[in-house]
Parts: sequence; C-alpha cells; structure tokens
Amino acid sequence: MTTAQILSRAREEKRTVLTEIEAKQILGEAGINCTPTVLATTKEQAVSLSDEIGYPVVLKVSSVDITHKSDSGGVKVNLVDREAVEQAYEEIMTSCTAYAPDADIEGVAVQCMSRAGTEIIMGMIKDASFGPVVMFGLGGVLVEVLKDVSFRIVPIEKADAVEMTGEIQGRKLLEGYRGQDPADVPYLQDMLVKLSGFVDANPAIEEIDMNPVFAYKEGAVVVDARIILSE
Amino acid sequence: MMELFFKPKSVAVIGASGTPGKLGYVIVNNIAGSDFSGDVYPVNPKSDEILGYKVYRSVTDIPGEVDLVVTALPTPKLTVATMEECARKGVKAVIIESAGFAEMGGEGKVFQQQIVDIAKKNDIRVMGPNCSGIVSRDIVTSIYPMTKKVPRGNVVLIGQSGLLAAGMASDIVENESLNISKVCSFGNKCDVNENDLLEYFGNEDDVDVISMYLETVTDGRNLTRIAKKVAAEKPVIFLSGGRTEAGARAAMSHTGSIASNSKIVEAAARQTGMIMADDFTELKDFAKVFSTQPLPKGNRVAVITLAGSVGVNVSDLCASHGLELPGLSAETTEKLKDMFDTPVSNPVDLYFSVTKIGFTKTLETTFPDALSDPNIDAAVLILAGFEYTQEAVQKKIVQKIVQEVDKPVVVCMIVGYNKYKNVIMDEMGKDLPVFPSLISGVKALSKLCEYGIRQQKTEA
Repeated sequence: MTTAQILSRAREEKRTVLTEIEAKQILGEAGINCTPTVLATTKEQAVSLSDEIGYPVVLKVSSVDITHKSDSGGVKVNLVDREAVEQAYEEIMTSCTAYAPDADIEGVAVQCMSRAGTEIIMGMIKDASFGPVVMFGLGGVLVEVLKDVSFRIVPIEKADAVEMTGEIQGRKLLEGYRGQDPADVPYLQDMLVKLSGFVDANPAIEEIDMNPVFAYKEGAVVVDARIILSE
Repeated sequence: MMELFFKPKSVAVIGASGTPGKLGYVIVNNIAGSDFSGDVYPVNPKSDEILGYKVYRSVTDIPGEVDLVVTALPTPKLTVATMEECARKGVKAVIIESAGFAEMGGEGKVFQQQIVDIAKKNDIRVMGPNCSGIVSRDIVTSIYPMTKKVPRGNVVLIGQSGLLAAGMASDIVENESLNISKVCSFGNKCDVNENDLLEYFGNEDDVDVISMYLETVTDGRNLTRIAKKVAAEKPVIFLSGGRTEAGARAAMSHTGSIASNSKIVEAAARQTGMIMADDFTELKDFAKVFSTQPLPKGNRVAVITLAGSVGVNVSDLCASHGLELPGLSAETTEKLKDMFDTPVSNPVDLYFSVTKIGFTKTLETTFPDALSDPNIDAAVLILAGFEYTQEAVQKKIVQKIVQEVDKPVVVCMIVGYNKYKNVIMDEMGKDLPVFPSLISGVKALSKLCEYGIRQQKTEA
C-alpha cells in the first residue's frame, strides 16, 4: 500500500495510531531505510515468512490497541529456527491476550534481527506555534535519562542536520568508542533531511518516533517506528 | 502599513488630558517633545485645548485625515467604542495602551476579540492592547516622560512588555547608554506581532541591531522563516520569557515527551542565527556590543590587564565561553619587548610598563600592537576606577584605538572608587561596551564572536 492508502484506511477505521508495519511502509516510501517487516496472521505464516527472511528473526505483536509492545510480552527477539518462531508466536498471543483482553490483534510482525549498531533516536512532533519539529539523539539510556537530543524547526537544510548531530553532548559516541564502529553521520544527516521533507509534505501526521535506529559504519536502519496521525 | 505607526503624518490621542501627570497628558507631552511635525489631535469631550493643541470631541470630529490613533482609555468598553469610531473615520493604525484585556482573562478576552473583529473587518492594524507603543525621535507614545530627545541610532528594541519597555526606553534615553532608534512595545499583540516588526525593521536600512523580548511566540514557523532572513543581515538578540521545561502536551510519542517549549525556542534561535539573551540587561548589553563594535572574524581574544589574578579569571571565563587566548606573534613580541620584563604573553600584563612610563602611555603603545596582532580577533580590556586611568578615559584613547585597529573591544571594570568608576561607566560607556563584571563582558564578547564566525561561514 502507498502512504496515501495507509492514511486513508486509518482514517476510515477512525484510528490515529499506525501499526509498525504501516509506519515502516510509509517511511520506506519517503526514502528512509527500515528493516523489512511483514505481517503474519497465523503461526504457519510466521514460520514461512521467517524462512524467507532468514534467521534469526524478531516477532512483535501487531495491534493498534497495544502501544507498549514489550510490556505486554509482545516482543520476542533472536529467534534462531522454526521451533523458536512457533513457540514465540504462541507465547506472544497468550501474553498479549492476557495483557489486553479487548485488543484487536491482527497477528505478528516478522522482521529480521538487525545487527546491533550505534543506537539512535529520531522523531518528529508538532508544536502549536512552531509546527513540525524534528529531533535527533542517541538512543537507549542517553535519551531516557539525559534527554541528550537536538531539535530543529521543519523544514531543515543539510546544514541544520549537521548542527543537529554535532550539538548533542554525546556526539563523541558517534565517532566510535572503545572499538565500536563509528556511525555513518552524513547518512544520519540525510535521514533527518528526508524526515523533514516528508513531514512537511504530510501535514496529517502528528508525531513520529524512529526508535531505535541502528547506525553502522555505512548506512543506518530504522528498527522500530511509530506514527501518530492528527485527530 | 507599519509606516503608519512609525512615520505617521497625523496622530490623534484619545483620552488626552490637560492635567500634568495623567497618562493622557504624558502621551501628548511626549509627542510634543518629539520631532513629530505632523498634525496632533488630542481627543477629549471635556477640553478645548491641551498643550496648545485644539481638542476634538471625538475622532470623527477631526477635520483632516488621521494616520495613527493612540488610546489610553480607562475601560475596555470605551476602547471598543473608540475602535468603532476609528473604523468610521477610516483610521488604519491604532495603538491601544490600556490594560484590562486578554491578560486579565474572562471579560477582557471578549473585549480584545471585539477589537480584533473590528480591526479585521475594517483593515485596521492594531498595536497592543496593554503596551506602551513607540519611542523614537519622530514620535513618542510612551507613558513615561521623556527627558531628552531620542537618538537617531541604529538599535531597535521590540517586546511584549509595556511598563518595562517604557522604563528601559526612558533609562536609555536619559543615560545615553545605547544608541537606540526605536523602542516598540506591543503588549498582548492582538494584531501587530513580532513577525510584523522583525520583517519591518529587517528591511529598514538604518537599523543595524534588533533586540527582542517575547513571552509567547505567535507563529513560530513564520518567526523561524523571517528571523533566518533578518539574522543573516543584522544581529537579532532574543530574550524568551516563560520558558518551561515540562512538555506542553500529553504526547503519544517518545519524541513528544522530551520536546519542551524551551528546547524548541532554543532550537529555533540556533537555526535562525538569533542570539539568545538570558535577561533584560543582556538584551541591552548585547545590543550595545553589536551596535558599537565591528564583527570579529574569529574567537581569538587578547586580554589586557594590570593584575595577574584578573587575567587568570578572564582566561578561565574565555575558555568556558568558547573563546581562545592565543600567544601574540613573534613580530608583536619583538616590537613590545622593552615594555615587559619578560616576553609578552596573553593575558597581556601591563604592570611592568605602567610602573615605568605610566598608564596612558602604556595603553597608547601596547594596546594597539596587541589588538592589531594577526593572531588576535578581539580584546577584553580591564580598567580600574582609580585616578591613574582617568587621563586615558578623558582623552578617549581606547575609543581611538578601537576605531583605528577596527577590531572589537569590551571593557570590564571590577575595582575602583565610585567617582572614577562612574566616569568610565557613563562617559566611556556612551561609546564602548563597559561591563561591571568580567563574566558579563566575556559573555557578550563570546556572542559577538559567535555571530561573526557564523557570518564568515555564510559569506564563504
């Protein structure tokens, strides 16, 4: 489905939260690299999709009603074979049904297990006065505790993106630390410019989280994404 | 349209008064004391003459055209009625100084909306309510008496505050501490807002520096666009009040939970190249530095002092504000070798030379060489408020050197007797940025360097 189709379907269904699969589809169309993520509505389909993608894989519950996928026991990572996938599927369904009995669960999202990289968070929110604003920061603990992030008002240029990645306190971590590969910072800057261009062209989108993004020596990939539409 | 506020050919003052001390009197008296050469029409149903001007019963009774109306009426209801009259008269610019509108909430909000509705319907631009309007050489609508003529300077101050803007204007005009051109207070900004004024003053060739105080940002997206354009041409110093850390929304996303009003405003300042001030003094002080000093090409600073300990402290402050203290070039060191007991370093310690040839001569010989050094972009000069510095102050030696070398200098003064300190602060302070502390001077200089470097980058 295209961005327009996904957005109009969500509108028809009167929901403002997109699924991870929908979010990645939309971001992919905007030129932002996301881990391929596909929906499996049955256990058998989850297995055959995992076979296609290649192990290890990750299964995540796919439901517009469950926003905290980890808390609900809806995320299983590093599944190395068919048996692991089958077991994970059942566990996710049991746990999520118990966690949210009324939730409409469409199935699980199957994605390949991304190689770990420098953990990045990117996002967008709309400010009542400034309009869309994009954010960049280091993910994980650094964003949770230190809120070490930078913002810019949309639309941004490459020079703004360069300032954004250079402005965070933990910028040294992007250069590679204790043997870790450096992050492909110019690639991340391009992602921010694409994100800005995308939100500028899509006023119906209220908030975006790309968290985490794994940045590598070359390139980066969005591992999890959320998109919230305007009311 | 903005021209009608700043360069009207005729002005009516509603609520004008013949009683000295009353607001309606001060406003008419301020207009009379300015260089305003157009027609002045005081409006008051009960008077015939105020300060020599013929008084009219209402706006509609005025025979000629009225470019600008200034109102200082006691109640919001009367103000709304006046707006109706202005619409009938065909007035296109109104300054409403009275309070009691949206800032009060409730009924006040309703009255303000009525004003906005009348303005929109009749194509009237409104400044205020709850403001003190304009202070300039050509027209003064402020509610504080002006003691002197407003300079035709190169700095404008714009802000939401009514009383403070009026107070700051009177302070600056009386003390001649800043070469202002205009002070403009727009209060509740029911119509005319920061974006209108930034754009207007951005296009005014005789305005070199804009200082702006905001409590709320009316249209941040537009502000970002306009400020980026204006700040690329001239410095815009920005004090943002009411910044809060807490996110203003119940966000669904992680991003939303981190984003706060203050972070977004700061991001906008960085993105546009505006210079953030942290208080009203800085709003004025930074404007002083930017309006009197040339832009530096870099952040390399020479510190000129008589006391080693002061030099140490300034060095630390420079480091924490992103300024460097490089050594002087071999040529300068050689040239100055007779002035120092040990080869000259940075901070440049004048003590030895002063004991030999006195302060004035030392300053005249050492300071220009240090400032001209190719390793140096700017200087911090520490002066003491004692008798030995007075000759140099009276002869305006520092001013001459700054002009000749054409690099920025800030003066800091930390010790002295008030009688001498005041001379440095007041007299030298008319021409140069003089600070009563090291940290304030270093911070202001760091902002100048930051802007100078940004300008270099964009020009390259």
